Amino acid sequence: MKTNHDIKLGVSLYSYQDNYYFHKHDLEGCIAAAAGAGAEGIEVFSDAMIPEWPYVSDAFVDKWNGWMERYGVEPVCLDHFSDRAMWKNKQLSDDELFERSVLYIKTAKKLGCSVVRILHNEHIGLGISPYRLTDVKIVERLLPVCAEYGIMMALECHAPTTIDDPIHEPYLEAAERLGLPYVGLQADFSSYEYCISSADVGMVVRQGGTEEILNFVREKQREAYFKGEPFIYDEIKSTVEKMGPNDIDLQFLRRHTRRTGPASYEVLKKYASKLVYVHGKFYDIDEDGQVDNIDYPKVIKALADGGYKGYICSEFEGNRRMNDAGWVDEIEYVRKHQLLMRKCLGYEQKV
Amino acid sequence: MYDKHILTDEGCRSIWEHGKKVGYCVNLKINYYRGLPLCCIDEITLEVDGEKVDPENMLLQHNGREYAYLDIFRDDFPTDFYWLFGEKLRVVVKKEGGIEQGRHRVKVTLGTRRSYTPTMVSVCEKILTFA
Repeated sequence: MKTNHDIKLGVSLYSYQDNYYFHKHDLEGCIAAAAGAGAEGIEVFSDAMIPEWPYVSDAFVDKWNGWMERYGVEPVCLDHFSDRAMWKNKQLSDDELFERSVLYIKTAKKLGCSVVRILHNEHIGLGISPYRLTDVKIVERLLPVCAEYGIMMALECHAPTTIDDPIHEPYLEAAERLGLPYVGLQADFSSYEYCISSADVGMVVRQGGTEEILNFVREKQREAYFKGEPFIYDEIKSTVEKMGPNDIDLQFLRRHTRRTGPASYEVLKKYASKLVYVHGKFYDIDEDGQVDNIDYPKVIKALADGGYKGYICSEFEGNRRMNDAGWVDEIEYVRKHQLLMRKCLGYEQKV
Repeated sequence: MYDKHILTDEGCRSIWEHGKKVGYCVNLKINYYRGLPLCCIDEITLEVDGEKVDPENMLLQHNGREYAYLDIFRDDFPTDFYWLFGEKLRVVVKKEGGIEQGRHRVKVTLGTRRSYTPTMVSVCEKILTFA
């Protein structure tokens, strides 16, 4: 459904991965599901859902354009990946990785996208990826290519990083220095999680974790957030230890108790007008229709007040946390999520 | 994720050539949220009824093409042959006499290299019925 809002809503097809993997819906079905949720934009997951990838034919593009027309949606973003460790005993050189990135940019243009989510080296901070991903040097070489094709590269600032993390700065400096404004920041709502998601609690419990302990920590995080106080794990650590956590609990808690709360909404507001893309990440939706660990009304208000112009795309990641227990209705989750975002933005509810 | 689903129970059977059983096959699905070039497969280890299959005897068939399993590890393997997301990769084991019809215990270890996370190794074990 096309609108003329400054902030438009879309869906990343990542959200429907189980529907695709288990052959419930093909690419057209996923696009139809996004349109059915009331979205007007589509984030393309070409590595997953375009069987012709990496060589997208004109015949496919015709079909694609037909779907956009039929379902009243538009292409927004294409996801770039950085498969540096291509062979078992050899990696792609910088030249080769550059060349592959050019292919993503050209394909984005062909499909009518205006943004490429670039998998830059620091998108989830340093120390997780064993390989050097698309770094500043490669992005610098991609800038003129993007200028030629009119494509914006979005640097996804995923948790544990935030949009104001200085590790993303060198990319923006390169664009500034060259006078080629074709790279910008992308917020990902993972930076605004204020507690463990109930989707994670469920998954860890099924892997052998202790429900009582995980929910205790989650409740303490929620308490701190709603009181407006920082969450300090050390303050409850001794209580958790007395509850007898096992290795699975401890391993999970080590990774999920470092943050004292969500990233700053003030900073988000300050940066909003400069952002080029936004991922509306979520794992679970509670009975009130709210995302259970991200304060959507506050996050979206910060974006709107700060003058963000562009798309927020639903990125449902609950599938991979819940599908070990059975079928996850991704289509319904996304529908509820779009409803929530429209509500936060004060848009008419037509669906 | 998809660990429980990487070993499918579809299309397990002996392979026939010129009226003789020359091998058997199983079908795998990827353990990641997107497709990957075949050369990003780090490992496929098969165990059938407790016996490890010699990788020399394994062939891969996907999207209309066939590859010797060990070839995908070569430094010059093409980067544009993808294991499509959600689609089956057939692993053919060359073995005179094929496999006996009926139930067999199959275990697969699948490792894939991805952009930004360490190599993910998934293990799936099932009793499969071979035709």
